[in-house]
Amino acid sequence: MHELSLMGGVFEVIEQTLSLHEVKRVLQVKLKVGELTNAEPDALNMAFEAYSKDTICEGAELIVERVPVRARCRNCLHVFAVETMFFLCPNCQNTSIEVIQGEELLLESLEVE
Amino acid sequence: MDNGRREIEVMANLLGSNDMQAGVNRTHFQKNNCLAINVIGSPGAGKTTLLEKTLPNLTLDLHVGVIEGDIFTSKDADRIAVHGVPVIQINTGGGCHLDSKMVSKVLPEFDWKVMDLIIIENVGNLVCPADFDLGEAFKVIVLSIVEGDDKPSKYPVIFRNAKAVVLNKMDFELLTDVNMEIMRNDIRTINPEIEIFEVSCRNGNGLHAWTSWLRHEVKVYKETNG
Repeated sequence: MHELSLMGGVFEVIEQTLSLHEVKRVLQVKLKVGELTNAEPDALNMAFEAYSKDTICEGAELIVERVPVRARCRNCLHVFAVETMFFLCPNCQNTSIEVIQGEELLLESLEVE
Repeated sequence: MDNGRREIEVMANLLGSNDMQAGVNRTHFQKNNCLAINVIGSPGAGKTTLLEKTLPNLTLDLHVGVIEGDIFTSKDADRIAVHGVPVIQINTGGGCHLDSKMVSKVLPEFDWKVMDLIIIENVGNLVCPADFDLGEAFKVIVLSIVEGDDKPSKYPVIFRNAKAVVLNKMDFELLTDVNMEIMRNDIRTINPEIEIFEVSCRNGNGLHAWTSWLRHEVKVYKETNG
């Protein structure tokens, strides 16, 4: 249940962002969460509800976009989707590969009024 | 937008403040020429036992300190203290992982003039600690083989991020249905560069290879760093 800690990070970022803008209410919070992280969308939603209570974010919609894992082979530079968490180049069978997408834990944007 | 609705683009890392403090911790370890490792594994995998079996050998020629992460008790720290090693307990009070701020708070407790190696034993959990950088040089997983050969593929994030895995309780191999071929293959496919040590903390088999490797890592760290 480290989603609570991650949500602490979300609200730190929201606070910083809102200090720079004049905002009455936050309507939507968009997160980008890579599949190569251990953040679980349902648990994030629960944590969001708990954190947003009695704040400017209460009632806002949380959108969690899961980002699939993609990798690049260090040998043949082929870029491919890593579907079963097995890090093997489908082109040349090399195992030395670099993850280029799927490790994100980002607050992408806020919709406000 | 209508009714004053508008979108603010943010693109900020949720772990930003943890990562920033982890960077500060990492610089602290580098300045003091001390290798820091983050030991992660399920409850009961044998993390503390591995330390108990490793410390008498390592402390022959190295100054080692231990940070023990635990939800409530100081049981693990008490076990380590018996070996005459400086040990600091962090109780997370329900938290499922250590974070870089908790670690930074206890750093002043150690004598940094002499430290060669700091071992941070994380809270027993294969999931949450994987996302939180503590400022360590690398992560080590302790997995007991009785947990099953399916565990690497079920928890790929941590296996992807670790430098070594210690497979403990090898003395149970014939008493369980674990398939060591699957275990090794899955670990290697997730992380081809990971070091695998097969040990039994109970009968001592395999421990020599692990301690020699760790001692070598301390040496390499000090040479590259200093």
